[in-house]
Amino acid sequence: MKHPWRWIIGLLVIGFLVALAIIPGGSKMEFKVAGEFDRTVLIKLPTVGPFDMSITKTVAYLWISVAVLLVLAIVVARSLKVKPGRFQYAMETLYDLARDGIVGSVMKSGKATWFPYIGAVFLFILCSNLIGLLPLPFGEGHQPAYYAATANLNVTLMLALFTFVFTHYAGIRKNGALRYVKAWAPSGAPPVLKQVIWFIHVVSEFFRLISLSVRLFANMVAGHAILAVFFAMALIFQSYLVGLALQGASVLIYMFEIFVAFIQAFIFAILSAVYIGGALDQDH
Amino acid sequence: MDAAAAKELGKLLGAGLSMGLGAVGPGIGLGIMIGKALESIARQPEVAGDVRTNMFIGIGVTEAVALYAFVVALILIFVA
Repeated sequence: MKHPWRWIIGLLVIGFLVALAIIPGGSKMEFKVAGEFDRTVLIKLPTVGPFDMSITKTVAYLWISVAVLLVLAIVVARSLKVKPGRFQYAMETLYDLARDGIVGSVMKSGKATWFPYIGAVFLFILCSNLIGLLPLPFGEGHQPAYYAATANLNVTLMLALFTFVFTHYAGIRKNGALRYVKAWAPSGAPPVLKQVIWFIHVVSEFFRLISLSVRLFANMVAGHAILAVFFAMALIFQSYLVGLALQGASVLIYMFEIFVAFIQAFIFAILSAVYIGGALDQDH
Repeated sequence: MDAAAAKELGKLLGAGLSMGLGAVGPGIGLGIMIGKALESIARQPEVAGDVRTNMFIGIGVTEAVALYAFVVALILIFVA
């Protein structure tokens, strides 16, 4: 017995874990992931035509992310220094990533024209994804809850529609409508095959819309659902041991969600750049 | 088993199966793609930036397939 204290500490830890496993913990609570889809109306406003103008929590989240982005951009633009501080360096890294990493690496022409759109989309999605990881009091009865503007299919579909419209606007303006549409099928193909390929391309254009929007939406919803399950599992199992393990695991999941927030913003922006760049410089 | 219980069973079973089976394909695809990307980066470290950018594009496209399964599962549970 060289180190008797090791045994004592080991026994204490094991006893603590056993005690945690035996003691029933907390009251049993219901939890529902479907709260993510609740359309919580914060301020009721009248409908104008077919549009309901009420301020829902999605609108509140959109405004919050726009406000955060505006404040960050204004603050950093007002105090630009040659030798950047920590905050300016972080913002410059994001700007560089949008300019060189996204637009610079996938677009051949029209970089200066389309960088503002793609950079704005990147920063906006990044900002609202990250805000989605903060509990804000917009839940049921103003409880703190997780939600993100991008966890709503309407928002992501609108963003994807922007990309869709800008893609074809850019292509038509650069190449002319007829030449742009003609280039969707390879010129060397036999006539019937050409029509089939052209039709498949038209369908794929619309599927881009679906895949862009559903990817972002489902990623955010899935992330929030996993976090909710991990947070709420302790309440369902009613055990301190499971709660301890799950809280440890939920920290890891939370870090992974921060990574996913970055990756999804990056992927949305880079796919927008790929689509717009593809419409500008057509291969065939 | 009455009709309501059968419907509930079908919904939950279908949701679980769609998510589970839908994750298989994209998982294999992502593994192959990221493995190949790492291989090529290891072989030619000077093109690491290009390879990484294209890998992320590929990840986005592949991963969307799993997310379609997720959406189908959600629709089955909450809407159907």
